[in-house]
Amino acid sequence: MALSLKTLAAEAPDRQSEPVMEPVCAALVARRAATRDLGPYTARAQAEVEDLLARFLTRERPRHTLGIVQRMGGGASKEQFLFELTSPGGSAETSVLRMDPRGAITETDRQREYEVLKLAEERLPAPRPVWLDADGSDFGQPALIMQFAPGVTKPQGAGIKVSGLGTHLGEPLRSKLKGQFLDHLVAIHALDWRSAELPSFAAPTACPTQAALWSVNYWKALWRLDRHEDRPIAALAEQWLLDNLPACDELVLTHGDYRTGNYLFDEASGRITALLDWELARIGDFHEDLAWVLMPVFGTIEDGVFRASDLFEREEFITAYEAASSRTVNRRTLHFYEVLSSWKCLIIVGANGLAAARARQNHQDVLLTFLSATTALFTDDLCRLLSQGTDA
Amino acid sequence: MSPDADERLASIVRALSDVVLPSLPAEAGLAKEQVQLCIGHLQILRAQLDHIHDYEAEELADAAALGRMLTCCAGGPATVSARARLREAVASEPGHGAAAIRAARQQINEAIGRLVEAVGIDGDDACRANLSRAILQMERQRSLKDRQWSAAFGFDAQLASA
Repeated sequence: MALSLKTLAAEAPDRQSEPVMEPVCAALVARRAATRDLGPYTARAQAEVEDLLARFLTRERPRHTLGIVQRMGGGASKEQFLFELTSPGGSAETSVLRMDPRGAITETDRQREYEVLKLAEERLPAPRPVWLDADGSDFGQPALIMQFAPGVTKPQGAGIKVSGLGTHLGEPLRSKLKGQFLDHLVAIHALDWRSAELPSFAAPTACPTQAALWSVNYWKALWRLDRHEDRPIAALAEQWLLDNLPACDELVLTHGDYRTGNYLFDEASGRITALLDWELARIGDFHEDLAWVLMPVFGTIEDGVFRASDLFEREEFITAYEAASSRTVNRRTLHFYEVLSSWKCLIIVGANGLAAARARQNHQDVLLTFLSATTALFTDDLCRLLSQGTDA
Repeated sequence: MSPDADERLASIVRALSDVVLPSLPAEAGLAKEQVQLCIGHLQILRAQLDHIHDYEAEELADAAALGRMLTCCAGGPATVSARARLREAVASEPGHGAAAIRAARQQINEAIGRLVEAVGIDGDDACRANLSRAILQMERQRSLKDRQWSAAFGFDAQLASA
């Protein structure tokens, strides 16, 4: 069984006083540190997953029949398997088993993902969560089972795009998708997290800068844990972030990884069928999601024009978000979160992914080392952003 | 007459492309993805192989140049201590071989990282400004070289305009 996040959360030193980061995040950092000693991890064999699913479903759906089990491709962080379950009445449902490898490019919690999917399922196109194995007691590693959502992450003929980076949608898809992309983001930020069942989430309400501080401290702790080598620009960015924490006027639920590549759409109609990868969701500042959308690495350049997620030009996106949400985008706060996003990406690919690969704890180490080639994009982004100063 | 590294890598790429990949069953999606990534990695390594030593030596030279620019940082005890450590790192002669060059670069970069932290604690204002300016200038140059170096991975659509 995997290390218990609940136990680690209870033991986290941050619980004694004002936490320096969200308590679950402190537990995630502790779990990551403790996992490093557990030795290598190999991709689950098909037969092993079939057996685990059969045992689990015999208990949970005793009269149902497990059909074909198939590994899913794509993605950089989880092992995912598609399976079909047929009821005694003959109706079949396809689901996705999403399991943590021992070490991954991001350290996240399946419990949180389950909770946020539960909140989203009736209000947004999102996969319906069905079962949760938070501590890995059934599947050996923490796991989530959710309903399969149809659709594609990129148009046919878009070529191989590792982790969906730089996906080119083009017209007419761009025009069909952009309004939905924006509306769904606004809808996420409108979710009523205060009255929702989100027991593993904590809200940074102690002071106006706590939302930003929690985020910086979480990624700082992951950097400290996983970096193989220091990098002057990373150190400078960390210092700048701590010196320039913005106040958050309105706490919202953020998605955390909102971009093209993390939603499914029907190619014929151009309708978004599911928003994916909610594992980095938190209660924080909406600027954090906007900055993530605007990351150069997730966009494209066509005829010299940059489009965030191949959908919006920069100012077009900001203006459209303001109009659709009735919020005002604070440019200084957006700048802070753009620095944070680039620094976060540097940590993800240049520290977390490589540390998982070095420890041989991921099922696709070769992908993680391949993705680390993006490190220079983020160090360069940080140079550009920090050169603009606070008043950008 | 042992085969050179490029010949060996080329033969591995060919075996993976022509023998291993086509023999994988359609349902072996993960294995196919990983073989394709292995081929990509190896092709890029082949293209970089003859230049790796020069690249790493230049990384060290850049780190040392930045380190030297920062050795006059002034401030309180934390800054003075971190500055001494950086001076030591910059002054030490790297040993021979790739591992020694990497270790020397890591030592300098770590010392710079600690200096940044220390200056954040008790560095004087002029020192903070100089440190920031020097790091941005040198890291910008370093990042552009690293982007060129990683261009073959295909992630950097904006390299031409950088």
